[in-house]
Amino acid sequence: MTEREVTIKNKAGLHTRPAASLVKLAAKFKSDFFIDKDGFEINGKSIIGVMTLAAEQGSKLKLRFTGPDEEDAAVAIVELFEQGFGEP
Amino acid sequence: MALGKLKETQRRSITVGFLFEKNKERLKLKPLNGESGFEKEVRDKNIHRPGLALAGYVELFTYDRVQVFGNTEIRYLKHLSLKERLKAFENILQFAMPCMIVTNENELDAEMVEMARKKDISIFQSPLETTKVVYFLSDFLDDQFAPQTVIHGSFIDVYGVGVLLVGRSGIGKSEIALDLVERGHRLVSDDVVMVTRKGEGILIGAGTDVVKHFMEIRGLGLIDVRSIFGIRAIRFQKRVEILIELEEWKQDAEYTRTGLDHESIKIMGVDIPHVRLPIFPGKNVTVITEVIALDYLLKHYGYDAAKEFSKRLDAAITEKTKGKRAIDYFEHDFE
Repeated sequence: MTEREVTIKNKAGLHTRPAASLVKLAAKFKSDFFIDKDGFEINGKSIIGVMTLAAEQGSKLKLRFTGPDEEDAAVAIVELFEQGFGEP
Repeated sequence: MALGKLKETQRRSITVGFLFEKNKERLKLKPLNGESGFEKEVRDKNIHRPGLALAGYVELFTYDRVQVFGNTEIRYLKHLSLKERLKAFENILQFAMPCMIVTNENELDAEMVEMARKKDISIFQSPLETTKVVYFLSDFLDDQFAPQTVIHGSFIDVYGVGVLLVGRSGIGKSEIALDLVERGHRLVSDDVVMVTRKGEGILIGAGTDVVKHFMEIRGLGLIDVRSIFGIRAIRFQKRVEILIELEEWKQDAEYTRTGLDHESIKIMGVDIPHVRLPIFPGKNVTVITEVIALDYLLKHYGYDAAKEFSKRLDAAITEKTKGKRAIDYFEHDFE
């Protein structure tokens, strides 16, 4: 199991489009991927799940990866968060 | 394991303002001292009647609970002189109570209301009887402080049976849910199911406020089931009664062939019947899901198909009548 913590950087938060890019990226990996916000944990490969978080700018998320390619998945997904999904 | 590790969460506290807002209609609550004390927190799901504390015995006073003043408390206070009454009230006001509820439309002295306001403790008045107030409030608090978890799956009411479909991402849970909705069943939630344990042994599932009755269909995107299929296709909550786990057909895995042994799974300590359903192209999972729900209903009403079959077989073995045609004589029926 690989765990990471990230902060939402872009102004608009984790809205529909970033949520879509996140689940698309997550789907490329075999590992299971979960996101926890304030004790509420959802499946990171489900767009409905990710949108349920309604994560605003500045909110902290715990990411959990389990599976054969968890290290690679963690690197790629953390990078997407770091870039603020390519948004200001 | 069908569900992996489930994270249980539990609310630690609610504010008095929230308690008032959610119960003001049901309990016909009237705040006697404005909004003072609305920010105070309730942390206990139990309710307390402060009769003994008013009489002066405060040793075991569970002051951190919602305090309900019923007829007993009010009559006791009324039989005291005003001075004694205020003293008794002041005595309990030194404890940090979250709020007070006065039932049966009983009145408190204006001095008391003012004393509570100074201490920032809300007082609500209700015209309902104490038993009703306690009943409704206990149910509300029990729900607010109930353990909750989130399950990744689709939750549908199939013939009145709450069926929770789980399985890996992309296996087709949403598609089966959509198919069931099309056949007249009702969607509770897709993808994110919030499960709450009510009382002992009851799990209630619901959607979340953001994504209520939306679902994602791969290759299509987000759809709103309520708008497309109308009110008949949805419901807000349902008891979780069966867990169906979808998985890819594995040649070497063993699946039940008779249904004589019932498997179950524990969700937050509650046993739920658990069906492992292998899927492959051409298998109509929707119809099988309906049959699982109907079979559950049959069992609920006392008929277990696997057991009945087994009984019949046992009878045939003892009577040595195996292999006979079901009908003895066709009576010129050539249809």
